Amino acid sequence: MLRGNYRILSRVARRHASSNTLSSKYELTCGLEIHTQLNTKNKLFSMSSNKSFESLAHPNINASYFDVALPGTQPVLNYEAVLFAAKLAVSLHGTVNINSQFDRKHYFYGDQPQGYQITQHYHPFSKGGYIMLSKEFDGIDQDLSKINITQLQIEQDTARSSYLHQSLIEGREEALIDFNRSNVPLIELVTEPDFHDVKQVKAFIKKYQNLVRQLHISTGDLETGSIRVDVNVSVNEHPRVELKNLPNTSSILNAIKYEYKRQVEVLEGGSLGGSKAVETRGWDGEKTTLLRSKESAVDYRYMADPELPPVTLSPDVLVNVKKSLTQSADDCIRELMAEPYNLTLKDAKILTIQNDFNDLYNNEEVRQYYLETFNIYMLLLKDDNKKKPKIIVSWILHELLGNLKKLEIPLKKLNENMLPPELFAELLVLIHKQIISNSSAKMLLFHILEEFKANDCVKVENLDFKALIKKYDLEVQTDVSKTELEQNCRDIITELNNPKMIDDIKSGKKKNSLKYLVGLGMRKYQGKIKVQELENMFKQILELE
Amino acid sequence: MSLTKIVDRIRTAQSKFNIFTSHITTPPLATASKGGPLSNRTAAIKDNIVTKDFPTTCASNILKDYTSPFDATVVSLLKDAGAVTIGKTNLDEFGMGSLGMHTIFNPVKNPLNTDWCIGGSSSGSAAAVASGVADFSLGTDTGGSVRLPSAYSSIIGFKPSYGRISRWGVVAFAQSLDTVGIMARDIDTVAKVYDVLDKYDRRDPTSLSQNLRDELEKKASRMSRTKPNIGIPQEFIQGELSPEIKESFLKYIDSLLQKGYDIYPVSIPSIKDALSVYYTLAPAEAASNLARYDGVRYGTKDPETADIVDDKFFNAARSNFGPEVKNRIILGNYNLCSDGYKNNFIKAQKLRVQMINQFDRLFPFENVLTRNKPVEDIDIIICPTNLMPPPLTKSVSQTEKKNPLHEYMNDIYTIPMSLAGLPTISFPLSSGKPWGVQIATQYGNDKALLDFVKANSA
Repeated sequence: MLRGNYRILSRVARRHASSNTLSSKYELTCGLEIHTQLNTKNKLFSMSSNKSFESLAHPNINASYFDVALPGTQPVLNYEAVLFAAKLAVSLHGTVNINSQFDRKHYFYGDQPQGYQITQHYHPFSKGGYIMLSKEFDGIDQDLSKINITQLQIEQDTARSSYLHQSLIEGREEALIDFNRSNVPLIELVTEPDFHDVKQVKAFIKKYQNLVRQLHISTGDLETGSIRVDVNVSVNEHPRVELKNLPNTSSILNAIKYEYKRQVEVLEGGSLGGSKAVETRGWDGEKTTLLRSKESAVDYRYMADPELPPVTLSPDVLVNVKKSLTQSADDCIRELMAEPYNLTLKDAKILTIQNDFNDLYNNEEVRQYYLETFNIYMLLLKDDNKKKPKIIVSWILHELLGNLKKLEIPLKKLNENMLPPELFAELLVLIHKQIISNSSAKMLLFHILEEFKANDCVKVENLDFKALIKKYDLEVQTDVSKTELEQNCRDIITELNNPKMIDDIKSGKKKNSLKYLVGLGMRKYQGKIKVQELENMFKQILELE
Repeated sequence: MSLTKIVDRIRTAQSKFNIFTSHITTPPLATASKGGPLSNRTAAIKDNIVTKDFPTTCASNILKDYTSPFDATVVSLLKDAGAVTIGKTNLDEFGMGSLGMHTIFNPVKNPLNTDWCIGGSSSGSAAAVASGVADFSLGTDTGGSVRLPSAYSSIIGFKPSYGRISRWGVVAFAQSLDTVGIMARDIDTVAKVYDVLDKYDRRDPTSLSQNLRDELEKKASRMSRTKPNIGIPQEFIQGELSPEIKESFLKYIDSLLQKGYDIYPVSIPSIKDALSVYYTLAPAEAASNLARYDGVRYGTKDPETADIVDDKFFNAARSNFGPEVKNRIILGNYNLCSDGYKNNFIKAQKLRVQMINQFDRLFPFENVLTRNKPVEDIDIIICPTNLMPPPLTKSVSQTEKKNPLHEYMNDIYTIPMSLAGLPTISFPLSSGKPWGVQIATQYGNDKALLDFVKANSA
C-alpha cells in the first residue's frame, strides 16, 4: 500500500434545504456528465484483471506495472472496451467516429499515477445521439422529452484513495491508494443542457442504468461507483455550477433541488450564500459546498497522446454491432403490452428493466422464460377459445419467482435441470383444464421445488405432472355427488355460525363474502373440486341469482 | 575481450572517463556455450533503459534509488542472444541535453580527448564504446542523442527507423521521437546487434507491426540497387559548418563519386523549421511524461513538507529535477497551455507532417506509414552529423548559462531525421576525428542503409 499526505476539506456546519418546488419565474437548466465503468475482462490499457469491486478487500492485487505508471511502461489499448463503447454509442443513436483519438489530461493527484489521465478530448469516440423520455414509460410530466447527448469518450479511471482519519497529525492526514481501480475503462457521457426538472434527471439516470445493464457493458450501479454522475446546474442567467461527489440518486436529486434554491437566492440577492460565479460544488448530504472557483480551475493542458495510435474502426464493425443489439427497452415494453401478450405496463416493465437485484435471476432470463412458456402454452391450447394467457405472467412473476427466492434456486438451474418452459406450460395447461386446481397446483409446485433444492438442484429426468397429480391424489374430482356436496356446503354455513355474513350475502350487501365460503369449501375438498361447482351450490343454498 | 579481466578494465575506464552510473563488480559468467549471436560480447546500456540487475536512475535525483522490477525488451533480447551487460551508462538527465553536461553523476569525459565534451545525451554509452570497455552499447536517440556523441567520440551510431526496436522499458522523454540506438566501433557489430533487436513487441504501442515488417522486407529485396542514387539536401550545407568538417565531408563525397555513385542536390525546405518544431513537441511530451515523478511513488520526498501546499501538489518533490529538465518542463507546459496549444503544439505537428511529406517525395521506396507517392529517385541522403567539433567542457558551462539555446544548435543536423523517423547512421569521416557523416534513407529501409555503410565507410 502506498501512502501520501493530503489536506482534506473540513466539514462545515450543516444547514437544511427546505423547499423542493421549482418556481415558474426561475427556470432550471441541467446537463449531466456520467462516468460509467465498463465491465471488460481486462483493464483499458493493460492486461490486469478488471475487478475493482471484487478485489476491494485486497488492495493492489490487480495492478500491473503500467497501472502504477512505472517508468518505461506503455499503454496497449484493449479493444473490448472499444466494442462496448460502440454498443453504447449505437444504442444512443450517436455518430461513431471511426478515427477517434486519445489525449492526455494533466493534473496532479495522489490517485493519478501518470500525472495525467488518458481520455478523448479533441476527437471523442462518438458525437450526438439522444435518449427519449416519456410520460408513459418513465413517469415524467411531459408527454415526451428528448435528452440530447453531446459526446461519448473512452478514458481511464483513477486509483482509489482512502483517507485515514485517525492518523491526522497537525492538519495533515494519510491517504492509502488502491490501484485496483487505476486504468479501469470508463465511458464519459456528456449530455446537452436539456433537463428542466428533477423528474427528467431521475428518469434519465434510471433509463441509462437499464441500458448499460441490458447491453452487458456495466453493472450500472451508482452505489458502488460503477456509475458516477456530475451535474451542471444553471438557474436563469446564473452561471453554470458543476456539482460533483454525488454518490446516489437521492443525493443527485437533492443536490439539484438545493442548488436551484441557492441560485434563486443568489439571483434575488438573498442570504443563502455564494456569489454569481462559475464554480464547482460538492454535496455534503444537506447542502452544496464550494469545492473550487473558476480562478483556481486547473488548465488540463490536453495533449494528443504521442504513443497511442488512433482508434480505427471499420464501418463493418459498426454494422455488426448494430445487428447484435437487442431492441430498446421502450420497444420491448411496447411489444409485451401489445397482442398477443397484452401485459400490463407494470408486468412488462418487470420483464424488461432490471430492478430486482439478486444472484438467482435477472429480468432477461425471466423474460426469456416467460416468452417460451407463453409460446408453448398457446400452441398446446391453440384450439381452445377459453384459454387465459394472463395466468402465465402471474404464475411466473408471483408463484415461480417467489418460490425461487424463498428456496434460493437460480432460474437458470431450474430451466436446465428440472422445469424448462415446455413443462411449466404443461402445468399451466393442466390448471386451465381444471385437472388440478389453482391451490393444489401451487402446493405441488412448491413441493417439487423444495425436493429439487434438497437434492442440490441435480438433474430431474422425466418430470411428469400428470403422474405427480395422481401420486399425490390432487386430481379435481369430477364425480362429486350432488347430495354430498349440498350437505357439505350446508355444514360449512352452520359451522361458520355467522348469520350476519349470510344475511349480507343474501341481501347483496357483501357479494365478495361468497368467495370466502367457496374458499372454505375448497379447503374441505382439499382443492380437488372445481371452484364453479362449489360456487353454484352455495348460490343454490342461499337462493342467490 | 576476455571476460575475466573486464571488471578491472571497467574500473580503470570508470575512473578515467566517468562512464557508468552503475556496473558489474564481479566477473560475469561466460555465455559462449549457449551459442547466441552475441555470446560473450559486452554491452553497456544507457541508464534510461530499465534493468532488473542494475538501478535505473536517468541521471536524475528523482530516480536516484530506483530499480525497475522488470527488464526492458531490448535488455531481455540482448540477454537471450548471449550478450553480457556490464553496466548502465551516464547520460543527460532523462535524455535531455546535447553535450552530456546535465547529469547528477558529473559529466562523462571524452576518451578521444578528455577536454572535449563527449556530446549527449547518450554520453556514457558513447564513451563505453570509444574507450573499448564495451563491444557495443545501447543509447536512445530523440533528436540526435545517439548520433551526436558517436560523432564527437569517433564511433558508429545507428538510429534505426522509429518503431523498429521496442521501447518497452525505455523511460520516455518524448515518445513520438524516442528511438533506441546502437553504438559500436565497427558496422558489422552494429548490424549484428540490430538483427537481434529488430523485433515486433506487442507491449509497445508504437512498435512497427509484423505485417508492415513483412511488407518492408519484400519491398527491400525487390528494390535493392547495387549503386543507389545519393542526394545531398542543400539545406544541410550551412554557412556555419566548420571548415575542417566541410573539408572532410567533401572528401568523402569525392570518394563516392570516384566509386561511380550518382550524387544529386535535393531540397527539403522544411528543414529550416526542424529546430522550432522539435523544441515545441519534445518538451511538451517531456512535460507530460515527467508528470508521474511526483514524489509519491519515486524519488526523494521531503518528509517535513506536505504533498499539497497552497493548493499546489508535489512542489517539493519536483524541485529534485535538474535545471535543464526544469527548463524543458516549463517550456513544454507553456506549449500545452490551452491558450497556446493550437498556435504552438498543433502548428508544430502540422509542420512535422509537412517535413515528412517532403522526405517522402525523394525516395522511390514508398513510406509504408504515410503511403505518400514518391516523386524523385533518391535512395540515400548524406549530410554531416555535427556542425562543429565538440566544445571544450570548461567553456560549455559559461556559454550555456548565457543562452541555453546555444546548446540546442548542436542538434540541427540530427533533428530532421528524428522528426521523420528515418533510419540514420553516423560514422566517423576520419579515424580519431570528432565528427561524423550521417547516412539516412526512407522509413523502414534499414537493411539497405546498413548495406550501404558496410560498403562505404570512410
